[in-house]
Amino acid sequence: MAAVEVRDLIRKYRQGEDNMVRALDGVTLSIDTGEFVSLVGRSGSGKTTFLHCVGLLLRPTTGQVLIDGVDTTALTDGQRADFRGRRIGFVFRHQSLLPTLTALQNVMLPLRYGPIGTGGKKRARELLDLVGLGDLVNHRPGQLTVAESQRVAIARALIKAPALVVADEPTGEVDNETSDELLFLMQQLNRTSGVTFIIATHDIDVATCMDRVIRLSDGQVGADERLRVERGRRSSIR
Amino acid sequence: MEILHNIAQRRLRSTLTIGGIVVGVLALTLTGAMAEHFHAQFEGGDAYFRSNIQVADDAGSYAGVISLSKIDPIQKVPGVAVALPSIGLPARPGSATSVPLGAPDTIAYADPRERDHSRLKAAIADGRQLQPNRQGEVVLGHDLANEYGVKVGDRLDLPIRPQNANPDFVNHPFKVVGILKKTNTLPDATASVGLLDAQMLLQESLPASFRDRLDPSSLASRITVYGKPGVDLDMLADRINATVPGVTATRPTDFVNNFDQGARFAAIAVGTALLALLFGAILLINTMVVAVIERQGEIALKMTFGAQPWHIVAEYLLEATIIGLVGGLIGFAAGAGLAALLDLAGRTVNMDVFLITDRLAKITLGLSLALGVGAGMIPSLRAARLDPDRALRAP
Repeated sequence: MAAVEVRDLIRKYRQGEDNMVRALDGVTLSIDTGEFVSLVGRSGSGKTTFLHCVGLLLRPTTGQVLIDGVDTTALTDGQRADFRGRRIGFVFRHQSLLPTLTALQNVMLPLRYGPIGTGGKKRARELLDLVGLGDLVNHRPGQLTVAESQRVAIARALIKAPALVVADEPTGEVDNETSDELLFLMQQLNRTSGVTFIIATHDIDVATCMDRVIRLSDGQVGADERLRVERGRRSSIR
Repeated sequence: MEILHNIAQRRLRSTLTIGGIVVGVLALTLTGAMAEHFHAQFEGGDAYFRSNIQVADDAGSYAGVISLSKIDPIQKVPGVAVALPSIGLPARPGSATSVPLGAPDTIAYADPRERDHSRLKAAIADGRQLQPNRQGEVVLGHDLANEYGVKVGDRLDLPIRPQNANPDFVNHPFKVVGILKKTNTLPDATASVGLLDAQMLLQESLPASFRDRLDPSSLASRITVYGKPGVDLDMLADRINATVPGVTATRPTDFVNNFDQGARFAAIAVGTALLALLFGAILLINTMVVAVIERQGEIALKMTFGAQPWHIVAEYLLEATIIGLVGGLIGFAAGAGLAALLDLAGRTVNMDVFLITDRLAKITLGLSLALGVGAGMIPSLRAARLDPDRALRAP
């Protein structure tokens, strides 16, 4: 089954008084469960708008977004927020940790907005172990490097065991070596947990580590390639 | 915990905001305590003077004195249950230049039978009540005993000698036999003496040219009249005026309305303090609006994790409420402390004007809570309406 299915997605923005810009212009595509997909394109090509529509942060002007077979465009705002909280994880480019919380508390933050369950703390610790930060659970973001912060953000994206993780330029603010490490980490998580990843990037080297590269150009799908690459570090496929 | 961190992280702004609320609540506490004081005084006066008719002399004799011979004709007026002599004179003569913001210190005689009729009750805290026909004894109100630093068994000269006393000023030693429980109203500032002592002091308070022509045993300041059950006292006062010559009976309703000025003053003062509190509320709104603007990215993040608008509203409302409550608690504690200090300092001049009550604490802290919730409402609703798509794109 498709993890994400997008049908004729159009998203318009008002620019100035009368001008309407089409950030997405009839995008139709399908992403299978467990795929590790990169979304590439120049700045302004519609990558973030696409991720926000798929992440249910933005309603499309027209078209449909189906996640796990659910037509999310038919949901109310409250239902979308609930669905987003349960089924979608996010990783952003910018430092996205709350400065007042520890690494562990940041990972547990999404649990605050959903049904109260047990074992959240244990799972958060396991995830921090998984991303290699088991020793830094009580560190606050100010005490972490950018790479460590992004690792915490990745752990946080997975805390509710989502079906889909959308990552918007997650390696945009780190050097190549750190970028490789983060990418490798997400790849490992994708492989072990089966979570679908859609990662927007303008770094073509990053994109070539993926199963599939979707190129957006002026809000339309310019290319959609499935690659046959060995999974592993970017350095290993150069 | 996160909220406390947020408040602590913006220390200067939070401190200034809380400081603004503290000032407002402190002002409200002080003026509220003053209002409570006046209210208690008014209630006590209302309870006493609404339950009887005050009858004064109207025969052109010296003001403030009435002959006890008027008691019999008043007693015969239909509807009168009992007519009793009452005497009241300043305990601190010559201190009129420093008018206290409350009941003045008074030497008083009230017939023991009044206890059966009056709605104003004063119980003994220490010692005993006056005994009939015993002279040289006094029962002091709570504030008066504190003011002069006396206890049961001590001696007190009455009236209190003024600093610039006339050559013919006289006072007499009285033994304190009882001290009343605090009532927050008239009895607190009263030195109760027996009839003979009160008549003697009343006569001595009169001008020399006048006093020698009077028999002290026939004197009272006024006659206090209680009606039979079910009798309309205003109508009974009219009836006394119509049937007993040489007296003026004041309608209880008119009497009570005359001493309502303190309550009006307090209402104005409380209104002013509420303006100060409004200032604190504006500061809090400003702080929370800035916090929302600063934390747009954070709010958007929480929305991506599934936070519903009510989650965001609740978080910001809670933060504003905590700030309001902290400011309220500090302001109330500071106000109550300052009121106690001012009362302590003013005790020597009988300026006991503040009364901190449970009701005042509830109102003040309730208003602080409402201020937090009210001031946090606009910013938190604004936060909940945030567009996460736009906020997450911001650099």
